[in-house]
Amino acid sequence: MHYLSFWQSGLVLAAIPVLHWIWLRRGLGVSGRYTALIDRVRTSAVPEADVEMSEADLVAALRAATVEAFGEDALEDPVAEAVALAEPTVRSAERPLVHLLFFVGLCAGGLLSAWLRADLAPTLGLRSELFPRVFGHSPLVSSLVLIFGGALVGFGTRISGGCTSGHGLCGVSQFQKGSWLATMAFFGTGVATSFALRALL
Amino acid sequence: MRQLSGTLGVGLLFGFGLSRIGFSSWDEVHRMFVFADLRLFLSFMAAVILLVPATLLWKRFLPGRVRFGPRPVHNGTLLGGALFGAGWALSGACPSIALVQLGEGQFGALLTLAGIVAGNWLCAVMQQRYLRWDPGSCAGE
Repeated sequence: MHYLSFWQSGLVLAAIPVLHWIWLRRGLGVSGRYTALIDRVRTSAVPEADVEMSEADLVAALRAATVEAFGEDALEDPVAEAVALAEPTVRSAERPLVHLLFFVGLCAGGLLSAWLRADLAPTLGLRSELFPRVFGHSPLVSSLVLIFGGALVGFGTRISGGCTSGHGLCGVSQFQKGSWLATMAFFGTGVATSFALRALL
Repeated sequence: MRQLSGTLGVGLLFGFGLSRIGFSSWDEVHRMFVFADLRLFLSFMAAVILLVPATLLWKRFLPGRVRFGPRPVHNGTLLGGALFGAGWALSGACPSIALVQLGEGQFGALLTLAGIVAGNWLCAVMQQRYLRWDPGSCAGE
């Protein structure tokens, strides 16, 4: 497979955040979009099982109390307001569909790239020579590795507040201390884990 | 409209670029992490070096148009980064790459995606019930 050279790749990787600023007026951060989308689904669909009052109950109670005190006219949009108050972790002002649109764009970019280089050979696993050599040919083991690896990515990027784009590209180039620490940590364990995997070869 | 077209446009360019750079290949990522091929490392470093003056220029000539940072060190920074790195080495994917792989027809990435969503969700639940750290998020910036 022919890939871009390092300096071409560097230009592309640097251009994307700048385009993101110009076009969208906000910093690039992909894991934050996952967080915003997931929080949106969580807060709208899933009542917390063992908190004293679920969000839906809380909204209903607030609504009832408001009607009792001020009459029906007071109910303008209490649901949106209560949800916004109850969920301070949703920091994105964007509508959730916008995040989904970005994800569609990423997929479409991958599709276009593979299609244009006539390399569109769908596979149930990953297109990789090394992966099966490290983990073997069992679909079960491969699946578990991908799910577990993905879970580490999801948990880790959320708790550290960024991923390769937000911390790695943007935060590091802005000399943000948290981004430097997170980036050194993820490249460090990436290297350590990969050397451990290579021992399995 | 500008936001919708921009979001789709930047996402598409980003996905296309990552694919052509080779970040969506498990093998390329593995070769980067074991220092067998430094191209991806150098790409990343070149991008960071280019972004330093780009950020300074942006802040100088278009102040306040984009909110940058702050991204201070907090309780979850080191732990989260460490877990993410291990997950990246195992699955070959960071959050954007899983979607690029899916677009390229590497359907194993669906499992990675499921893992990312589950891990993010679990983190949210743990935060809410036990930890209550404030990790911040790139979404608001």
